[in-house]
Amino acid sequence: MQTNNYNRNRYRLGIWFTAPAVIVLLTVLAYPIVASLVLSFLRVRFGGDGLSFEFNGIANYADLVTKPIFREALFRSIYFTVVEVAAVIFFALIVALMLNHPLGRPAFYRIVLLVPWALSPVANAVLWKWIYNANYGILNQALIGLGIIQENIIWLGTPWLAFNMILLADVWKAVPFIALLILAGLQNIPSYLYKAARLDGANAWQQFVHVTLPGLKTTIVISVVLQSIWALKVFDLIYVLTKGSPADSTVLLNYLSWRETFSNLDVGYGAAIANVLFLLMFMLALVYIRALRPRQTQAKAG
Amino acid sequence: MPRYLTQFFIRFGLIAFTLLSLGPVVWSVVTSLLPLSALTSKPPDLNPLNITLENYSLVLDSSRGLFSGLINSFIIATFTAAVGLVIGSMAAYALARLNLPGSNKILMMILATQMFPGIVIAIPLFLVMSRTRLVDTHFGLIVVYLSFILPIVIWILKGFFESVPMELERAAAVDGANPIQTFRYIVLPISLPPLFATGVFAFIEAWNEFFFAIILTRINVKTASIAIAEFSGQYQTLYGQMLASAVLASIPVVALAIIFRHFILEGFVEGAIKA
Repeated sequence: MQTNNYNRNRYRLGIWFTAPAVIVLLTVLAYPIVASLVLSFLRVRFGGDGLSFEFNGIANYADLVTKPIFREALFRSIYFTVVEVAAVIFFALIVALMLNHPLGRPAFYRIVLLVPWALSPVANAVLWKWIYNANYGILNQALIGLGIIQENIIWLGTPWLAFNMILLADVWKAVPFIALLILAGLQNIPSYLYKAARLDGANAWQQFVHVTLPGLKTTIVISVVLQSIWALKVFDLIYVLTKGSPADSTVLLNYLSWRETFSNLDVGYGAAIANVLFLLMFMLALVYIRALRPRQTQAKAG
Repeated sequence: MPRYLTQFFIRFGLIAFTLLSLGPVVWSVVTSLLPLSALTSKPPDLNPLNITLENYSLVLDSSRGLFSGLINSFIIATFTAAVGLVIGSMAAYALARLNLPGSNKILMMILATQMFPGIVIAIPLFLVMSRTRLVDTHFGLIVVYLSFILPIVIWILKGFFESVPMELERAAAVDGANPIQTFRYIVLPISLPPLFATGVFAFIEAWNEFFFAIILTRINVKTASIAIAEFSGQYQTLYGQMLASAVLASIPVVALAIIFRHFILEGFVEGAIKA
């Protein structure tokens, strides 16, 4: 009887304890997601007396197919995500391997890693805006000083180049966190596996391929998914560095959706773009959840 | 590869890594300490005698909006972290220990919320908040930030609460403690390190956020991030001042990250992959 009472108390408390968090999440996340879906089928007008809504069918989505800017932004977003994630994982893996080596153990290197991570993203954007500055930026001066280029390059003024320079700045900012994840993953690989591999005569490369990489599999899957989601969301850098220019060559989906909604006030069309982005991220989220799940069952079994 | 060669490559790699990570940051700090004339001469005049705090005193001038931006960011980040910890730790405890039905499903849903693009949420939120006059208020921004801080707080703390020995809680129950007392006097005190880690993380995220801030604020609650972005738009040829504002807004969060690095590295990063 006593235990029953105790359990009932705990159960009731559980509901009270979860309620505030669930209410916040439902109001701020669940409602807007449904509303966003509805909005994407409406035409929204800003009149003198506020907003007016009118059913628009699938016209907003049809616009996506016919307007080249959407297709270009979609292509750019995919390119940006694939290249950014590949570069981030590659550099983060190298950094993590170095920091896991006895020479990389001093706390100093952890601090070096945390600085770009904690930096405010807008501050990061301002920093690169200054480095890329065509007249006085350190990048041009350094490259001219080294004799690599002869005259100043307008890094943010040429379509393809500006886009890739934004990508570079984003990679710089993103590497530390993923490196920290991979470092934690490396430290979870039991050292007896390396000992066994060495006994079998494996050299450093073979140990890396047959012990390190398989041991990092889950960590890398999680990193790829998280980083893809973050890459698809990139906004601050574009806003500060180019505002989408030159000639819309740095417009990615997230930025396009924001611009259509809040600058051009085409709310329904903006919502349609946002929903496409949502769909892309949702598919990535499913991969993430799958990557986490087998681990949990393993942990419980073990 | 011989041992000394490996060592050489790793030493070289570590130096390159340090230079590439800190170089841009150091260069920004140097820039913020130099007058415009020194920066626009070619090559830049790095004479240490030129060093001045003039840029800082100019950007903190009240007409520039950075000072009030820093205050707004501080208020918003503090409340987000504090409220996030309180309701997040309660939910995490319930999900970890209070036999809530369907707790696994709730957890997965909470995790999935991490994957929404901000813009999907931002458009309807903006419409609702304009109607309820919550645009351009601290409260509005804090609630929005809570929605993406909470899932992280809950996920990390739940993992930690599960590692608290059940015997400890049973012993408390035998001594007559009710579940609230157990949570308050047994579980929370031994969970201070992860509470700190998630609190610091929440503060940094809320302080740095830009996307919702630009959509949901107008004049009164401009955050530090917005102030810097405006700076780099309006005064983009005043390079020293532009960088001084960026440095000022970054100092609090970078300092927090360095001071609490142990909490962040152990409590937070481990939690993200172990779950």
